[in-house]
Amino acid sequence: MKIILSFLLTITCFFAAAQTKVTLSGYITDAIDGEALKDVKVFIPSLKVGAMSNSYGFYSLTVAPGKYTVEFRSMAYGSEVKEIDLSKSQVFSIELGSKVNNVNEVVVNVKKTENVTSTKMGQIELQMDQIKTLPAFMGEVDVIKAIQLLPGVSSVSEGGQGFYVRGGGPDQNLVLLDEGVVYNAAHLFGFFSVFNADAVKSVNLIKGGMPANFGGRMSSVLEVNMNEGNMKRLKVTGGIGAISSRLTLEGPIKKDKGSFIVSARRTYIDILLKAAISDTSPFAGSSYFFYDFNAKLNYKLSAKDRIFLSGYYGKDVFNFSDTKGGFGANMPWGNGIAALRWNHLFSDKLFMNLTTTFSDYMFKFGSQQDEFRFELASGIRDVGAKVDFSYFPNPIHRIKWGADYKYHTFTPTSVTAQNDTTVFDTGAAQKLYSHEAAAYILDEFDLNDQLRLNVGLRYSAFAHVGPFTRYIKGDGISTQDTTIQYQKGDLIKFYHGLEPRVSMRWLLPDNSSIKAGYAYNYQYVHLTSLSAVSLPTDIWFPTTDIAKPEKGWQGSVGYFRNFFNDKFESSIEVYYKEMKNLIEFKEGALPGDNVNDNTDNILVFGEGRAYGIEFFFKKSVGRFTGWVGYTWAKTERRFPDINEGNIYPAKYDRRHDLSLVGTYKLNDRWTFSASFIYATGNTLTLPSSWYVQEQNLLFNYGARNSTRMAPYHRLDLSATLYSKAYKTKIDPTTGKEIEVKKRYRSNWSFSIYNVYNRMNPFFLYVDNDGDFLQGNFKLTVKQVSLFPIIPSATWNFEF
Amino acid sequence: MEFRILTKLIISSLLLLAVTSCTKEVQIDIPGYKDQLVIDGSIETGQPAIVLLSKSNNVYSATNFQAYLDGFVSGATVIISNGTETDTLTEICSDNLPPGTEEIAAAFFGLPVDVLINLHLCAYISFGMIGEVGKTYTLRVITNGSEYTAATNIYNPTPLDSLYWKPEGSYTDRGFSWVKLSDPSQSGDSYAWQVKLAGMTNFSRTFNPFFNDKFFNGQTFDFAYENPMSFDDPNADPAYRGYYKLGDTVIVKFSKIGRKEYNFFEKKYNQMYSGGNPFATPTNVPTNINGGALGIWVGYSPWFDTLVCQ
Repeated sequence: MKIILSFLLTITCFFAAAQTKVTLSGYITDAIDGEALKDVKVFIPSLKVGAMSNSYGFYSLTVAPGKYTVEFRSMAYGSEVKEIDLSKSQVFSIELGSKVNNVNEVVVNVKKTENVTSTKMGQIELQMDQIKTLPAFMGEVDVIKAIQLLPGVSSVSEGGQGFYVRGGGPDQNLVLLDEGVVYNAAHLFGFFSVFNADAVKSVNLIKGGMPANFGGRMSSVLEVNMNEGNMKRLKVTGGIGAISSRLTLEGPIKKDKGSFIVSARRTYIDILLKAAISDTSPFAGSSYFFYDFNAKLNYKLSAKDRIFLSGYYGKDVFNFSDTKGGFGANMPWGNGIAALRWNHLFSDKLFMNLTTTFSDYMFKFGSQQDEFRFELASGIRDVGAKVDFSYFPNPIHRIKWGADYKYHTFTPTSVTAQNDTTVFDTGAAQKLYSHEAAAYILDEFDLNDQLRLNVGLRYSAFAHVGPFTRYIKGDGISTQDTTIQYQKGDLIKFYHGLEPRVSMRWLLPDNSSIKAGYAYNYQYVHLTSLSAVSLPTDIWFPTTDIAKPEKGWQGSVGYFRNFFNDKFESSIEVYYKEMKNLIEFKEGALPGDNVNDNTDNILVFGEGRAYGIEFFFKKSVGRFTGWVGYTWAKTERRFPDINEGNIYPAKYDRRHDLSLVGTYKLNDRWTFSASFIYATGNTLTLPSSWYVQEQNLLFNYGARNSTRMAPYHRLDLSATLYSKAYKTKIDPTTGKEIEVKKRYRSNWSFSIYNVYNRMNPFFLYVDNDGDFLQGNFKLTVKQVSLFPIIPSATWNFEF
Repeated sequence: MEFRILTKLIISSLLLLAVTSCTKEVQIDIPGYKDQLVIDGSIETGQPAIVLLSKSNNVYSATNFQAYLDGFVSGATVIISNGTETDTLTEICSDNLPPGTEEIAAAFFGLPVDVLINLHLCAYISFGMIGEVGKTYTLRVITNGSEYTAATNIYNPTPLDSLYWKPEGSYTDRGFSWVKLSDPSQSGDSYAWQVKLAGMTNFSRTFNPFFNDKFFNGQTFDFAYENPMSFDDPNADPAYRGYYKLGDTVIVKFSKIGRKEYNFFEKKYNQMYSGGNPFATPTNVPTNINGGALGIWVGYSPWFDTLVCQ
């Protein structure tokens, strides 16, 4: 209580103090395409105070009245200096000059000093320009694969969907596309992500020290922001690759007032398959493809109001046909996301963003074998609203508060089965309904020149409501199965809790700092997987009266230092994380077990912990840029009903994870990149013994995840050849030859995946061969590797 | 079964993608091996209990018939009880079978008679007690200083409404056996489906012989089953495998079993059919035996019916 009172008192004092000062505020945008610029530092050297623009490009800086030299500085856009008379509050919006194509031109890099000065820990923002130069698998630039090169982030496997952050599961990552939740960020079982690089503006990963404005997940936040569309002119961007092509159209609705962008991508694996399978083949009609579609509109209604409408729709479709066997199957899955946002300036110090979101993920499977028809569907649908206020009372305080609400509809499993005219009883389609809400407040403030604090508190609540049928299983002998019926709106279970978040930075001499962070999180939705890897069949499931909310905390401490005038930045972070109420299926659970039953009746619950140390060394300036990341980590789980209650390593427990990423700009036309990763092999569970029952050979598995695959390592290379950016022209006024920037540009991107053809383990299995009675029966462990060396080329263009 | 198809489809498609995938044998440490007793015991209405005892083997140990033979456990004390009476089972070995039981034993072990009688395979048999409907049978096995216990029931059998045969597709003389079943209203009923042709000694199991009433509790419905014997017949025309032919006489043994026992067989068949599936959760077959042994003690309550394919 004492802390809260002093906190409120402090805020009140600053409100009062702010009355005698003036405020410089406005929007910062790109001069070429009008895109809002985030994280541009607005700095007044004479006062040594500054502010950063938010993700909508808005900034606000309150100082004493006077005339000031103000610098607007950005890594990608360089620096602009303006003389501004601040005898009274001013709105000053600025367009920053032509985008620096490559970071080697930037001398002063504010974001790099942020590595040392901000309270942010475990946060990394990747620029799409940078991601696009990295080697790409089959030529497909992939956001998720890029972040997997960062310390503390690991891939599921070569072809698994999702990613793991600091020992958390794939469902513990909050993936947001323009603030809409993405429940499955993978295409093609995880070989590609749903994010079309042409439609993405920036990617921000928060893997630790999650600020209070984010919640609902235990491990990380991956914020993906879509391009807003060119405010100045119509622009077409596209690319033709080995397996897919994409096309983007953007332009002004009204110049400098509003713009749009539409982007589409589709694979042509199905067309290639069709060519490979003859029409007379029994498998004719089998195909696979995915497509996605991004669209966004934004419009400045007034100097104080702007709206954004974003949408994403993507689908994977897998068809299988075996006409000879009389079997056919169709399996579509995909996401639909929409977000409507309204930015409003209540004053030059108070910024509001109101967002309404819709997210939908569905998976379906339908099949027909002769007269037997079967359909299965699962999914999750959210509608929600969120409001965030940013208040900038003075340069010392940056205060945010807001609230978030979602209404979830879960369909864990809906099954229908019919044989000729007989309809099987597969139970009513199970749907689960719930409300999730949260409110937060946070303040980032400087206590003195050395110490900066970011203190936040989040309150979250979750209500599981009817209609709902609770199945209570009897043993079939002394007790029989019964059900409890809940009507629409009935409260079945309510959970709530406080989530304190604190992070601090202590500036040290020599351009270095020490940071520490603590975050407590609740997670009310869970992804349950029946498989040893993540698949589209994984089921999103809510917290219920049986499945309690996951909760846990993470603490981290780090040392951050920049070298050589901020050309190099480095960090060492140590983290420890504890997680409770983690969810797994019971050993031996099968997909159909939740038919005429509740999914949570076949779940078991446990806890986990993860700890590790991460080293990061990055060079962002010069012809050669890149980073080295190394993580030593340990991730463990303990479930009373799994592994006889003993602690076991998580399936993605990796002791060592090293990534080396380098990009070298040879000249204006050629850029070369390389990435190398080394990771301890994944764990898995293999049979440790065999036995015979009724003449059948059966296996008994050893301790959970007690076997470790061989290490994974791989080198990828890429080279990008850009067309000439300028053409020569005679200046009609001077008659001299001048260089003019070309409107049409293109590039060829060549990649080699797995350069030295390493046969990395994808999975292991126990194989048997021979005849038991003949005495030549043999069990062996086989390793399957997926991708050998794969060269690819993609042609990209824009005009 | 559809779920298995779904899983297999996903796996197939993943593997299809990996057109260039490569498989090689590797030597890798698999910790966690425990030497465990395996109990394979059953009792059914009107029949004595039969219990086989063997040992599990390290996955890297020799996996051959000799290893299987070496794993048999002799000299154990095996006792069953029906609540009021108790019987200590007698150990009978294949090289010392009572006259006239060779064929039954050979079928039980799945071995030719001439092979069996030259081997030392032992089973424990309850000559003093046979299964009765409505009773609970407990099993006690004492060997090497350890004791293992289990219990199973013989329930009232569920009768089949009718059996019939009909030609499949364009065939006129080949088809599946069809059955009309009225499942009792109580949920959790579990069944085993076995068949044999007239003249055969032993029943065979179909491809997916165990099922429960999860999808059809309390309903009356028709379903078909294949001919499993045709897959074991090397002379059978591959095009006709799985079908009964016009004129066949099929004896159906439709047994009711308990939930725990069904759970064992369901997981067992799931493990067998998902062998090598890298995406399946590694699942041990759950036992109903206490004391740390593997295997099952199961009571069968069979309903017999005969179908003449016409």
